[in-house]
Order: sequence, then C-alpha cells, then structure tokens
Amino acid sequence: MLKILIPTLMLIPTAWFAPPKWLWPLTLMGSLLIAVTSFSWFKSTSEVGWTTLNSYMATDPLSTPLLALTCWLLPLMILASQHHTHNEPLNRQRTYLTLLISLQFFLILAFSATELIMFYVMFEATLLPTLMIITRWGNQAERLNAGMYFLFYTLASSLPLLVALLILQNTSGTLSLLTLQYMSPMSLTTHADKLWWVGCLLAFLVKMPLYGVHLWLPKAHVEAPIAGSMILAAVLLKLGGFGMMRMMLVLEPLTKEMLYPFIVFALWGIVMAGSICLRQTDLKSLIAYSSVSHMGLVVAGILVQTPWGFAGALILMIAHGLTSSALFCLANTNYERIHSRSILLARGLHMVLPLMATWWFFASMANLALPPLPNLMGELMIITSLIGWSYWTLALTGTGMLITASYSMYMFITTQRGPLPNHLVALDPSHTREHLIMALHLLPLILLILNPQLISGWVN
Amino acid sequence: MSTWRRVHVNLRKAHGLFPVSSRRVTQPNTWKYGHLTLCKSLSTSRPLRDDFFKDLEVQLAAMRQKALDALPGSDWSPLKMDRSLPPERADVVIVGGGVIGWSIAYWIKQKERLRGGVRVVVVEKDPTYSQASTVLSAGGIRQQFSLPENICLSIASAQFMKNINEHLHVLNEDPVDLQFNHSGYLFLANEEVAHIMEENYKTQRSFGAHVSLLSATQLKEKFPWINTDGVALASYGLENEGWFDPWTLLQAFKRKALSLGAEQSIGEVTDFKYTSNIATTAEGDQVVQRRIKSVKVQVNNSLEYQPIECAIVVNAAGALSGKLAATLGILLPVEPRKRYIYVLNCPDGPGLDTPFLIDYSGVWFRREGLGGNYIAGTSPEEALEPDTSDLEVDHQFFEEKVWPHLASRVPALEKLKVTSAWAGFYDYNTFDQNAVIGLHPSINNMFFATGFSGHGLQHSPAVGRAMAELIMEGNFTSIDLSNLGFRRIIQKEPMLERNIV
Repeated sequence: MLKILIPTLMLIPTAWFAPPKWLWPLTLMGSLLIAVTSFSWFKSTSEVGWTTLNSYMATDPLSTPLLALTCWLLPLMILASQHHTHNEPLNRQRTYLTLLISLQFFLILAFSATELIMFYVMFEATLLPTLMIITRWGNQAERLNAGMYFLFYTLASSLPLLVALLILQNTSGTLSLLTLQYMSPMSLTTHADKLWWVGCLLAFLVKMPLYGVHLWLPKAHVEAPIAGSMILAAVLLKLGGFGMMRMMLVLEPLTKEMLYPFIVFALWGIVMAGSICLRQTDLKSLIAYSSVSHMGLVVAGILVQTPWGFAGALILMIAHGLTSSALFCLANTNYERIHSRSILLARGLHMVLPLMATWWFFASMANLALPPLPNLMGELMIITSLIGWSYWTLALTGTGMLITASYSMYMFITTQRGPLPNHLVALDPSHTREHLIMALHLLPLILLILNPQLISGWVN
Repeated sequence: MSTWRRVHVNLRKAHGLFPVSSRRVTQPNTWKYGHLTLCKSLSTSRPLRDDFFKDLEVQLAAMRQKALDALPGSDWSPLKMDRSLPPERADVVIVGGGVIGWSIAYWIKQKERLRGGVRVVVVEKDPTYSQASTVLSAGGIRQQFSLPENICLSIASAQFMKNINEHLHVLNEDPVDLQFNHSGYLFLANEEVAHIMEENYKTQRSFGAHVSLLSATQLKEKFPWINTDGVALASYGLENEGWFDPWTLLQAFKRKALSLGAEQSIGEVTDFKYTSNIATTAEGDQVVQRRIKSVKVQVNNSLEYQPIECAIVVNAAGALSGKLAATLGILLPVEPRKRYIYVLNCPDGPGLDTPFLIDYSGVWFRREGLGGNYIAGTSPEEALEPDTSDLEVDHQFFEEKVWPHLASRVPALEKLKVTSAWAGFYDYNTFDQNAVIGLHPSINNMFFATGFSGHGLQHSPAVGRAMAELIMEGNFTSIDLSNLGFRRIIQKEPMLERNIV
C-alpha cells in the first residue's frame, strides 16, 4: 500500500519543484508508474480475500478494481488537461496538478479504508479538491451555481451518514469492515431504525446519483473542466456505489422492505434519464445524463443484494467509468476545436477527423453496451438478478437498454455523420496526445473482455 | 416589553436645527390588543395605520417573494453573478444589433430544434440606435432589381412581412403592425436606359415579381400629376412593393428573438483572438487559415471588457462592418455613405396613391403619412460624396440637386416647404453595391451579412433565414445566395445591379 501512497504524495513536490519544461512530462511519467504499480494489487494470494492489510487500509476484490481505476485515471487526466492549461501562469498549472494528485490520494485512502469513519472522512475530503477544480477552472459563470449544488447536495446527505455511523459504533462496538462482515444481523424494528437505514445510504445514493437527487450531476459535469469531468464521471460516482456495497453488510434484515422506493427511483431513473438524453443539445450534458442512467442500473443491482447483482454492479461501474471518461475526452476534443458544446453546431465530423470518428464509434458502442464488452456483461448480470427479484423489472430495464442504444446512436450519428457545415471544414487535425488518451481509455476496456474475473468482485 | 408600549420622542430636547416646539410629534404607542405586544420593529413612532393583519400580510408577501426568489428555477444565487457584462461564452456571436443582426438571431433560434440548443448573443454598440442605418432608412421594399438573388430575397421578405404575425407574434404581447403601405414603386426610364428596364422587367417577371411596364401615355393616364417629358418607359410594381416602418420591424425581430432565448449585450466589439494555421497548396503557396476563438466586447464609456468565447461570429455591423473586418486584417469593401432624406410638406401634392417614384436622374420621393407630407432624396455623384464623420444634413444639397428635378417631374411639388430632414448611412459596398453574404475564405468561422448598399432593410427577413440555414444546416436551402459570397470580391468579378438608387 505504501508503495502507491508515498509516490502519490511525492508527486505533489514533483509538481511544485519540476522545471517548467518538464512539469507535465514528469508528473505524467510519475502517475503512469504509479498506475502500473497499482496493478500489483490484482495479484492476490490471500485466502480470505483481504490483502495488503495494515491497521487502517486493506484491499479486497471489491476495492482493487476501483483502486486500479483511480490510479489509471490520473495520467489520463494529466494528458487531457495539458492543452487547456498551457496558457495559464506556471504556478496555476502546478496548483491544478496538486489538486488532481491530492484527489487521487484521498480516493486511494477512501477505497482502501477498512474503518468506516476513515472512509467517511475521505469521502468528504474528495469534495474539496473537486469543488476547487470546478469553480476555479470551469468555463462559464454558471460554474459557481454548479459548485454550490455539488457541494451542498453531497454535504447535506452525508451528515446523516455520520450520525448513522456513530450510532452503529455505539450499537455494534466496531466500525471496522473486517469485523462488521462477521456481525450477526441487528434487530432493526423501530421507525428510528428505518431512519438509520436511510441515513446510512442517503449519502451514497446522492453520490451515485439516484434519479430523484441527481440535479447536481449535469451541472457539475458540464461546468467542470475536462479533468474534473473525467474524475467525477469515472471515480467519484463509484465512491457512492462502493459505499453502498460496504454498508449493505450491516443493513441486513431491513433492506428487504426498505429498498422498494429506492429501487423504484433507480429503475424509473434509467428510463427517464435516458429519455432526457434524447432531448439534449449540449454534448456534455448528454453524457452526464447517460451517467445518471447507467448508475440507476448499478443502484438497482446493489439494492437487490444478490451475488450476481453485486458482481454486475462492480463490472458496470468499472466499465462505465472507462467509457464515460472516454466520452468526456471526446467531447473535449470537439470543444477545443469548435469552442461550442452544442450538438447542432458540431456535425459531420467524420469527414474532417476520421480517426477521432473511430474512437467516437468505439466509445458510443461501449456506451450502448455492445457485446462482448464488459458494459454488457455488467448490465446483463444486474438485469438477471433483478428478474430474480421481480419479473416486472424487465419492462423498465429493457426499455432502458433500448433508450440507451438510441441516445448513444443519436449522439454518434449527429456528431459524426451528416453533412459537414462549411465553418468546420478546416479544423486542427487530431493530436497524438488525444489518440493516446483514447487508446488508454478503450484498450483496458477491450482487454477486460478477456479477463472479467478481475473486476467481478467477491464472486470468485 | 412594557417599555415598548408607551414610547415617545420629546423634541423639546433637540435644539438648533428644528423649530422648538412643545408639541408632541408622535403619539404614545398604545397597543390595542392589551399587554401582548409584537415587537417587530424598533421604530419609536406608531405606524400610520393600526391594522395588525394588513402589516402581517405585507410581511408575509415579502417573505413569499424572497422564498420564490430562492427556489430552484429562479435566478437567485448566493453568489451574485454580474449580469451586466456579456456572457463569458456563447455559440454564435452576432456583431451588430440592427435589423439584419436581429433577423439572423431570430431565424437561428427558429431553426434550433430544441430550446436552448444554440446560445446566440447579439452585441450592439448603441442601444439608442442613433446612427443605425436601419432606423434612418426610408423603409421601402421593391422587387424591381436586375439580380435574380435580389428579386427572390425581396419576394420572400415581402411574403414574410405580409404574414408577420404568424412569425413574430409573442404570446400576451401586442401584435406587430408594420404599417406596410402597398403603394408600389414606379421607376421612370428615358430613351437611353429603356432597354435595360425592359430586360429587367423580363427577369423580374420570370422570378414571379408582379411588375408592369407603362408607356408614357399610360403613365399619364394613371398618374396625371406626373410630367412625362423625357419618359420613354415606366415600371410599376403591382404587388409586394411599397414602404413600411423600419423601427417596428426591428423591434418585432428583437422581441421575438429575445423571447426565444437569444441574448443581447451592449458593447462594442474591438478585438478578436484567433488561432492561425498555415497550409500549403499543391503549388507550394502558403495560405493562412484563421479561426476566431473569442470576441472582445468593450463596455461603453468604461474600461471593462469581456472576451466572449464563441464558435461562430457573424459580421452584421452595417456601415461599420468594413472597420470591424479591418481589425482582423481582412479587406471588406464596405464603407458608410451618407444619404439625406428631406421631409416636405405640400398640401397640393399628389394624392394618396402616390407610389415610391424614382426618376432616371436618381431623384426619388414617396408619400409619408396622410397629411400631405412627402420624403425625398437622391444619391450624390461619386465624386461629391458627403463627409461621413457625422450625420449633419446639407440643406443646400436639396436646393441644388433634389428640388429642380423633383419640381420638373412633379409640377405640383414646385411649391413646397421642407419641414425636416435627416441623414443616414448606407453600408455601401464599394465593389459592386450588392450584399456580401457567406463565410470568409480565410477565416473559418466568420460569416458576413453586410454591404447591402441601401436595400438591407427590405431583404432582412430573407437574409436572416439564409444565414440561419448556412449556420445551422451548412448550406442555403431556400434561396441560393452563393453568388453573393466573398468569392466574387477576391476574384474581382463584380455582380453589378443595373438599377441602383
């Protein structure tokens, strides 16, 4: 664990003391080395599942894929941010990199936490660098509003979580996940216990986001700069899912009755968020709502508490993280050339940027869950476990998959196909850096087809 | 609490400024409802009315208003954003808030398929329109051009204006009344130019304009007040020709565009930021392709400015488009040319069916209103163009250049009184006096809709639609205006009108 944490922490002095010409290459190489080293966590020889154990942190088959995703994303964020920050003063660039690195540090601590309070503190800590990134480096005046929504939605919903965790500590005497997993189900019968159940999960539901409390997500994703959008879509949303999966251990007998409203919101959210996507003209907003839709499926998968549900949720989280981040990078390549996020003004691009059209194709196909990509595997596992819970969910999940396919195709066809407007005839050709980002997003996704056990959690 | 019930101010202690009076200025604060008090204010005098419930209602209304302001869906935010400056980014920036600019904004908003699809900002330097060509125009519309594009644009614009409330009506607002007088245009030709008029007539008829040719005798029959000496042929527009109120059209476009979501900002565009790419042609020549990244808008009379990051810029700046293009280093042959319009009062003048008469000498006049008023003017010779630094009117010009021809053509106008006059600028295309519409070849995202040389107002609806098609759909779909593009200027092939005022 320390072999990842110390280098991450040391990347911050690297960012501050690197000579100006070497700032971005150095931080990029450092983060790439950390990312490659993080793959060593996958090699787990422990019988109990938990490895790299110390008093505060551990990795297990649930957190390892998310940790690897977090470490993998930092070099991608650094690559993607190079262009839009190159005109800024040097110290501001260093600050930006420091924020990204500190975000990775907090995320590693959050995912590997064994103590729930440490998880909670890191969960809150990730809010601050993200808020700074959105409100300082965002594009428009609306970013202040977006920052407010982001901060207060998460903060207001996580305060009950703190109280709930303290109650849990009082009743069960421990908050260590290693101990809690062996705890017998508590007797949760009163109304206050029901409130406690909601308190445990509300923060994560807002973070996922669940459909009814999702308003912060389109704002935050649209107003954030590219690195902010990438980390938000790929990892911060998964913090919510991961938290839910951890908390499910202790919420045992109550979940059977209490999940009804939340599963309803989740399933309905798949269909509604997908339908909103079909009406969006802002490209980033479209991808943001598609995140809401996919995460609705993940929430449903976690709430039914079956092994396939959990495995599907984890697979979908990883696959969606890579796909969504790839789509945001593609939208950013558009934005850097045309300076508009409107779908109506950026059309017919495959005539001008054919290689980028290939990446658009792969990312859109991944978004609509094309077999044999892990996106489909995750969705299928979740849908199957939902059918086991109730046959009627098929209507909503089936409609949801149909709508997902249509808006992904809509996005692809509108931006790539069709007549090219005259004012887009002479665009900058694609840079190698952009091709590298896209390859580094989509190659892991394709390689995961071959070994999905890596990301399917505790089922193996 | 009880101290609040009976509080009064004793003014006898205040000396100096006020006239000393022993009269109590305020009454004791007796509370009608007994010992219970509501200490809602620190005022030491009793309010004028004594109704607890009315005050409560006022306070509740204020609280309700504050809560409404803070609800989602409203504009209120704890961090106040400065809305007086232009937005930081927009998709389309239209430079110039005249009738062409607002027409383009309206049509773009009309063509976005979903609300909020394209963010349009219209930047206008002078919200009072004191020097804008739109509002100083004579307001005529005619189909009698020689260029097919101009004829089609006029016909389409006339159709639009006849059905203007279908297009520009805003819910709960007054309908638009353009005061469109369908009195037609009457062109007079002498022997030398009669053949040009006949050819033009054929072109106009072939494109669907309703024009008729009149001989001198027919002319005299129709309009007995005309002196037909020297007139060989006359061309009279029977339909879709006349004049209307330019200010109403401008405000109608603006109101509808704003209601559809376009934004307005007051300021002057002074600078552009762009990126350059150098490309090499097959022959080895180097071509610079530029792409505008942002437009700098300077707030009037202030040091404040705002760069608007944008995807597309439309130059609809009218008479000042040449100056705007020069900041980018482009040579756009459009410059302001001053034209005078004189308001005449002649009670014995021609009647209510007076068309917009244009003589072959260049002098024109038309009826204005119903009180025997007319407006008249003419184009000065090329060499004697007046100075364009201001809009001062030269009354000598009327005496020397306009009145003699006017009086000889219409004898009734020999005795008249010049009641008023104004001047306005043409956005005059010095190359071929026709519009420049389309993309610039070396600036990838700058569109032009300027250089109309006196017929911009009448073409504004159709030009707005054409520009919106160009921007949103990539090509002209209703009227093909590719001949009016920048190519003819670069290749030096003028498309001249053979009928210019």
